Amino acid sequence: MRSETYRGSRILLIEDEESLAIGLEYNLTEEGYITIRAADGKQALAEFARQSFDLVILDIMLPFIDGFEIARRMRQIAPQLPILMLTARKTPKDRIEGLQTGADDYLTKPFHIEELLLRIKGMLRRKAWYGESPEVTRIYTFGDNEVNFDSLVCQCGKKTIRITPHEAMVLRYLIAHRDKVVMRKELLEKVWQMSGEMETRTIDNFIMRLRKYFEPDPAHPVFIVSVRGAGYLFKSG
Amino acid sequence: MKRWRSYFLHILIFIFAQLAWLALIALWIYWYVSNYIIFSQVGQKLAPQMMPEGRNIFALVSGLVLMVAISAGMWLLFRRLSIQYHMTLLYDNFIANVTHELKTPLASIQLYLETMARRELPRPKQEEFLALMLKDTQRLNSLINAILEMPALEQKRIAHKFAVHAANPLFYGLFEEAREQFQIEEEVLTVQGTLPCQCVADRNALRIALFNLIDNSIKYRHGPLRISISLRCTEKTIQILFADQGIGIEEGEQKKIFDKFYRSHSDALPSVRGTGLGLYWVREIMRFHGGEITVSSPGRYGGSVFRLELPIYRLSKRRQIEKLLAKSRRKGSDGEK
Repeated sequence: MRSETYRGSRILLIEDEESLAIGLEYNLTEEGYITIRAADGKQALAEFARQSFDLVILDIMLPFIDGFEIARRMRQIAPQLPILMLTARKTPKDRIEGLQTGADDYLTKPFHIEELLLRIKGMLRRKAWYGESPEVTRIYTFGDNEVNFDSLVCQCGKKTIRITPHEAMVLRYLIAHRDKVVMRKELLEKVWQMSGEMETRTIDNFIMRLRKYFEPDPAHPVFIVSVRGAGYLFKSG
Repeated sequence: MKRWRSYFLHILIFIFAQLAWLALIALWIYWYVSNYIIFSQVGQKLAPQMMPEGRNIFALVSGLVLMVAISAGMWLLFRRLSIQYHMTLLYDNFIANVTHELKTPLASIQLYLETMARRELPRPKQEEFLALMLKDTQRLNSLINAILEMPALEQKRIAHKFAVHAANPLFYGLFEEAREQFQIEEEVLTVQGTLPCQCVADRNALRIALFNLIDNSIKYRHGPLRISISLRCTEKTIQILFADQGIGIEEGEQKKIFDKFYRSHSDALPSVRGTGLGLYWVREIMRFHGGEITVSSPGRYGGSVFRLELPIYRLSKRRQIEKLLAKSRRKGSDGEK
C-alpha cells in the first residue's frame, strides 16, 4: 500500500472540540501517523516550538490565538510545512484568508473522513517529492537569481523576496526537468495532485508570478519560456 | 471594507442633506428679509392697510420651527439607521457563531459514523464513540432549544409563570439544581446568606438566568473554577452577588456584554463557544421581574462580580405585583386553550 511510505509521519492536530479531536486522532493513528493534539492556540504554538512535524491540521476558531494567526506564525518558521485548515467557516472570504495566510488546503466541517485522509496523503506525498528531488540543489542559482528552496528566500538581483511553497514547488519541478518541455497538465498532477479539474489557467498565473520575480524582463522571458501548445520550459542558460 | 465604504456613504448623504436644509433656510431668510424690506418700503406708500405686521413674524417663526423639526426628524432617522446597521453587524456575527456551534457537533457525529462504517472497532471503542455521539446530540439539542426559545423571549413570553415564592428555598433550590446540572462540587459553588423574604418570580426563567451565569463562569474560568454567591435582603430588594475568579471583563466591555449578540473578542478568551445571547437573556429576564443586573470587574484575570437585584414582595407594591400575577394567569389560561 502506498500509504506505507508515509507511516510514522508526525501530524499536529489543532482542534479545540474534544469529541472531534478524539475521533480524528483515532483515525490518524489507525492510518499509522503519529498524532499530537493541541486544544488551543497557545498549546499549539508551544507544541510546534518543541518538536518537528510533517503536517498540521488546523481549526480556525480557536481559543486564545485563532487559526489564521497560527498559520501565519508557523509559515514564518517553517515555510514548507503542509497546513490543512479544517473549519466550520465556509464563506469565500474565510477560504481566501486561509489560503492567503499560508494554508495549503481547506476543508469545511462536516467533512468525510475518507476525503480528509486522502488529502493528507496527497500533501505528504508532495512534501516527500519536494524534499527528495535530488536533481535540484538546496540553493539554486540562475542569472542574477539565487533561490533557497529550504527557507524559500530568494535573492533576485538586489531584491530579496520570499516565495510561497506552491511557487517553490512549480519552480523546483521546472528546474528538475530543465531544458525539457513540461506540460501544464503534468504540473497540475505533480504539484497539486489534481487531474485536470483545476483550471490550467491557474498554472499560467503561477508562471506569470515566477517570471515577475526572476526574469529581467517578464514580457520577454529568458529562463521560463512558453512552448506554444505544449507547456513551459526552463532554460538553464 | 465594502461595509465601511457604504457606512461613510450614509454619513456623507446625511451631511449633504443637512447642508441642503441649512442652505435652504439661509436662502429663505434672505429672500424673506429682502422682500420684506422692499414690501415695507413700497407697500407703506401704496397701501398702508396691506401691512399685517404680526402675521408675517408668525410665518417666519413657524417656518423656522418646521425646519428645525424636519432636521431633528432626519437626525433621529439617521440614528435609528445606524443602530440598525450596528445590529446587522452583530447579527452576522451571531449567524457565524451559530453555524460553528451547529456544524461542530454534526461534524463529530458524522466522523464517528463514518469511522464505524469503514473500520472494525472493538466493543469498548464502539461504546466510547457512541457516548461521544450522544454528547454531541445533546449539545445540538440544547442549541436548537436555545434558538427556538428566542422568539419567546422577544415577545416577552419567557417569564410568564409568575408566582409568589419564599426567596430562601427558591434560590437555594436553584443553586442545588445547578450543582447537579453542571456536576460541580459544593465547595466550588458556595452560597452564603439567607433571604427571609418573599418575591414574585418565574422559577423557570430565573433558572435560565442563573444557569447562564454559571455556564459563563465555567467557560471563562482562569485556573480552578470557584463561584461564590452571597444573598441578602434589603428593605426593598433581594441582592445576589455572583462572583467568580475567571478571566474578568475589561472596563470598556462591561456595559456591552449585555447587548444582544455581543461577544467579546480578545486573545485572553479561553472559549469560542457561544451565541452572544446568554447575558442579554439574563438582563431581559431580570427586567421582566422588575429587577436589574450590573457587572464589575477589576479587568483581565481579576474575576467578575455580577450583582442581581430583584424587588421583594411587599404589601405596599401589591398592585404592581398583582398585575404580574394576573398577566401570568392570563398567559397560563391562553396556553391551556
